[in-house]
Amino acid sequence: MEQILATTLRSAAPLVLVATAGVFAFRAGIFHLGLEGLMITGAFTTVAVGDATGSVELGILAAVGVNLVLSALYWWVIGPLGANVIIAGLGLTSIGLGGTAFALGAIFDKRGSIFTDVVLPRPVRGITSGAGVIVSELSILVWITPLIVLTAWVVLRRSRFGLRLAAVGEYPFAARSVGVNPSIVRLQALLIAGALCALGGAELSVGALRNFTENMTNGRGFIAFVAVIFGAWHPIGAALAGLFFGFADAIGIQSQINITERVPREFVLMIPFVITIFAVWLGGLWRRRSLEAEAGYAELREPDY
Amino acid sequence: MTGSLQRVASTVVLVVVSLLLTALILWASGYPVGDVFSGIIQGAVTATGASTSTIRWAIPLLLIGLGVVVGFRAGFFNIGGQGQFYIGACCALAVSLGWREGPAPLVILCGTLAAIGAGTAWSLLPGYLRVRFGTDEVLTTLMMSFIGALVLQYLTAGPMRNPSGTGQTAASERIPDSFRITDSSGVSATVLVLVGGVAVLVWLLLERTRFGLSMTLVGRNPTMARWQGIDVRRVGLAAFALSGALAGLAGAVELYGPGARLVTGFSPEVGFTAVVVALVGLLTVGGTVVAAILFGGLQSAILFLPIVTDLPPPALVLLHGMVAFLVTIKFKAVWRRTGPEAKAAAG
Amino acid sequence: MTAPSDSASAETPAVRCRSLGVSFGAVQALRDVSLDLVPGRIHALVGQNGAGKTTLAKVLGGLQAPNTGEVHVGGRKIPPGDVRAAQIAGLSMVHQHFSLPPSFTVAEALELAAARKDGRSFFRRTELQRKWQNEVAELGGPTILSTRIRDLHVETRQSLEIVRALAGDARILLLDEPTALLTPAATDQLFERLLRLRDNGVTILIVLHKLREVAAVAETVSVLRDGELVLGPSEMAEVSEGQLSDAIVGPASGADRTVGMAPAAEAAQETLLELAGVSTRESAFELGLNEINLRVESQEIVGIAGVEGNGQRGLVSAIAGLTPIADGSMRLGGVDATRAGPARRRLRGLRLVPFDRNTEGISRSAPLWLNQSALRLVGRHPRRFPLISLRQYKRQAAEAMDVWRVRYDTVAQPAESLSGGNVQRLILSRELAPGVEVLVAAQPTRGLDFSATNFVRRSLRELRDGGAGVLLVSSDLDELFELSDRLLVMYGGRIVARFEAPYDRRTVGDAMTGALR
Repeated sequence: MEQILATTLRSAAPLVLVATAGVFAFRAGIFHLGLEGLMITGAFTTVAVGDATGSVELGILAAVGVNLVLSALYWWVIGPLGANVIIAGLGLTSIGLGGTAFALGAIFDKRGSIFTDVVLPRPVRGITSGAGVIVSELSILVWITPLIVLTAWVVLRRSRFGLRLAAVGEYPFAARSVGVNPSIVRLQALLIAGALCALGGAELSVGALRNFTENMTNGRGFIAFVAVIFGAWHPIGAALAGLFFGFADAIGIQSQINITERVPREFVLMIPFVITIFAVWLGGLWRRRSLEAEAGYAELREPDY
Repeated sequence: MTGSLQRVASTVVLVVVSLLLTALILWASGYPVGDVFSGIIQGAVTATGASTSTIRWAIPLLLIGLGVVVGFRAGFFNIGGQGQFYIGACCALAVSLGWREGPAPLVILCGTLAAIGAGTAWSLLPGYLRVRFGTDEVLTTLMMSFIGALVLQYLTAGPMRNPSGTGQTAASERIPDSFRITDSSGVSATVLVLVGGVAVLVWLLLERTRFGLSMTLVGRNPTMARWQGIDVRRVGLAAFALSGALAGLAGAVELYGPGARLVTGFSPEVGFTAVVVALVGLLTVGGTVVAAILFGGLQSAILFLPIVTDLPPPALVLLHGMVAFLVTIKFKAVWRRTGPEAKAAAG
Repeated sequence: MTAPSDSASAETPAVRCRSLGVSFGAVQALRDVSLDLVPGRIHALVGQNGAGKTTLAKVLGGLQAPNTGEVHVGGRKIPPGDVRAAQIAGLSMVHQHFSLPPSFTVAEALELAAARKDGRSFFRRTELQRKWQNEVAELGGPTILSTRIRDLHVETRQSLEIVRALAGDARILLLDEPTALLTPAATDQLFERLLRLRDNGVTILIVLHKLREVAAVAETVSVLRDGELVLGPSEMAEVSEGQLSDAIVGPASGADRTVGMAPAAEAAQETLLELAGVSTRESAFELGLNEINLRVESQEIVGIAGVEGNGQRGLVSAIAGLTPIADGSMRLGGVDATRAGPARRRLRGLRLVPFDRNTEGISRSAPLWLNQSALRLVGRHPRRFPLISLRQYKRQAAEAMDVWRVRYDTVAQPAESLSGGNVQRLILSRELAPGVEVLVAAQPTRGLDFSATNFVRRSLRELRDGGAGVLLVSSDLDELFELSDRLLVMYGGRIVARFEAPYDRRTVGDAMTGALR
């Protein structure tokens, strides 16, 4: 049981970080399907730069930098250039997945995966028995993730910036009418989301593991996205949903060890996707109800800004 | 008509820009861009068997891409073509392996129908959730796609695994040669006629039937369509079903054509590439045919490239991503710059 | 607080604009408008729909950058299209559409709107509520600040919009058609509030639609016509109502005015549409219908009056078959249609002019011919050859549009390229084509200019005289009085009163506000 708990924390941390990123984007009204791509560039850049400089901090810094640039480009394409948010987001994901795999070959001359010596610090040490082993393997990012979520909550729900962000996402006209430029606020939201994705990716490659593997995010960006919807766009809700998916993953890992003889591995791996479909369905039901309440407004909405 | 000409022109420009950007990245990574491009031309057109190979890769892209076009026409993003393709192939395989002794034409027919049915079912679930509950179809089709990939993985590694198979990735048993409609090149008159016929039928349905027109209206403005008495749900479900059926058919063609057996995670990018193909084809049937051949050529070239240079294959994924990232840019938005927005009506 | 000043003319104008011009594509929304507003008074701005009133208000408020000209607020020049600068200069705007995000609480919405810089970046909810409590109470807004905007009544929202506008210590208030959604009683309250604000030294520019309201509240009046300032600002005392309406409508079209009812025909009547005890479920954003009984016979126009949001939308959508009828029954042409789907009702001769022509009546991006032929797509025809001839569709659409004098270049152009009047002609060309038995026309003239309005009204009359039945839902009493053979009033999802011509404005108005019980 303790083992599942510890594994849950480890599986959930990257999900929660990326889900928090998704909350920022979603609240600003952006259906951000590029999370997966940003996550994997974060994972790769941390490993690549961390390995080159020998410093995990520099690696993470570089990952954040790369993601800020990519997010700004994404904003430029979907905002001023008017591209489709979903298609461009999927494109961003492909650029991330393809670009990192390509760079793996181009820079390290390898296919598949590379190992790295850099690793995030692990604050709890020295436990060698039982579930403590996994706890002592939790990286610093796992421990500060709750802090990040809490900060996100304060910023989104208890700050003027959060009000502006929500206004932009919900009702751009309201934002414009008080002199807020929705486009700029969206850029800010995307930049924050990009940085958080970088952290999520870093946790994946140098926190939970010590390597970078092609396509190592394996749909986590999309699952984080679902956590956002499941969590009703609320930072705490999304974090809880992320934890839940982490838990499902942990059970999956456990059952792989325990019952893989009887239940094929693939079916266990399907669980998160099936849950996700249910989650989107339920989340959609919930959202629709609240949307209906706003439809009276929607009719008055100005075409688009 | 200048409007559509403009759209074609802007799409061509954006695809070229994506190619140039990718070339820039290759160049910056130290690859000989000139060699790569001449390699692409060789691998797609001039080398022996290259044009056949281009067509071979264009066929699944075209079929799945047409499905995407149908979905988009009715206003839906079916981005789960990959899973529908896999599940279609799996069902065709199950029929063929389960009825090895059957008469070839009948088995192929049953297998193809099974594939179409499976693809339809795979997209009808998200479709039903969408039209009934308003559940966002982007995510559900994507999840169904992941599940489809796992089903394929399970079948090829488990019940249908070829026990004598070596190699790293699991593969299924081969279907009897008599069931195949092409040789290993994947192109034959039968397949060309079949795919061409499907394309024509889809075109007729979309452009020359009242159903196709209702689909267009539903896709553009479901509220208006509903006020006009069009059954928006029925039209939406039909669009989803047809979209999945086309992807399922692509799976059957893949199996009875070049594949003959299924390998875990085969053609992993074809679903997403088909979305790009449909977009580059401006969501029209004719455009999708052209775009499918273009991207089929790129796919064929990437397999040929190792002969000329050591470019890693993910470069192609990068290129596809680049095209998707840019292809929906509206040139009007670029040209309009500042100035009052025409949409904000004068008061 | 400055006292209202009598020697106003000597002061710097509160708002001054010089030779403003705005164009949207080929449409010139404003041309060469120059205007000075004396501080501390209530100025009205009137004009027909499309005359440029909202555009002018938006330019003054900084929401719309003008192509030419400049705006000064309190003597300071405002950079074009800069909302913040206008707010800092003391000008604030109350929009035609509500501008508060529905999911926000009252306190949050006000905090969002406040342009002040003293606020800290972070807040606590209770602190925020305390901060705004006094301000809201002083201005007569809602008192529970943790309520969400979407849960407020229309009137409360409206008053909150004004509180919001004044939240940044605004000295100049722009109100863009604030009375559009208000009951007469709420309108009176609003005007009282404005007069109090004026007494406190706030300068007010109010965009209005109705001359009655102008007379009730304004001290000066300005008239826009076709984007030009044709009158004012003039003292209300110095212009007669006749002068005003001539300025609004323009000299040429004056002769075209038709008032008074056409006599109802006396031919044998049959009941085309009948609702008996129809109720629908209430949804989150629309009142349910409650025991609606109504009949539309051939050769008559039945008017539905009511303040918006009293169930008219639900009524039209229930008749169209878009909202299920929970209780009661409906007959179309003598046949029960309670459970019939939208398509079957259409096939039985039900035609609809929906409330919102740009979203419900047409597909803006679809070509004209497809919009025109939309009704041909309804229903299944298993016997017919499945393939159609687009050329025939296009030709017939073109013919129909020519008959209805829709102005267009090619049938392939998207419908959004048409003007409002032409869109309505397109919709009429589709809905009034042969086969129409009953027409439900919802707000058919809203937002149309004078000649288009007349055209629509004439068409409805001709349709009636041709033997069809018309159910006309409108919030324009003058229109209802002019066209209706009978008039029903909706209030709170019920029909609360039935009138026969001649109508008394006072009584009908009382019924609309629920005063008549």
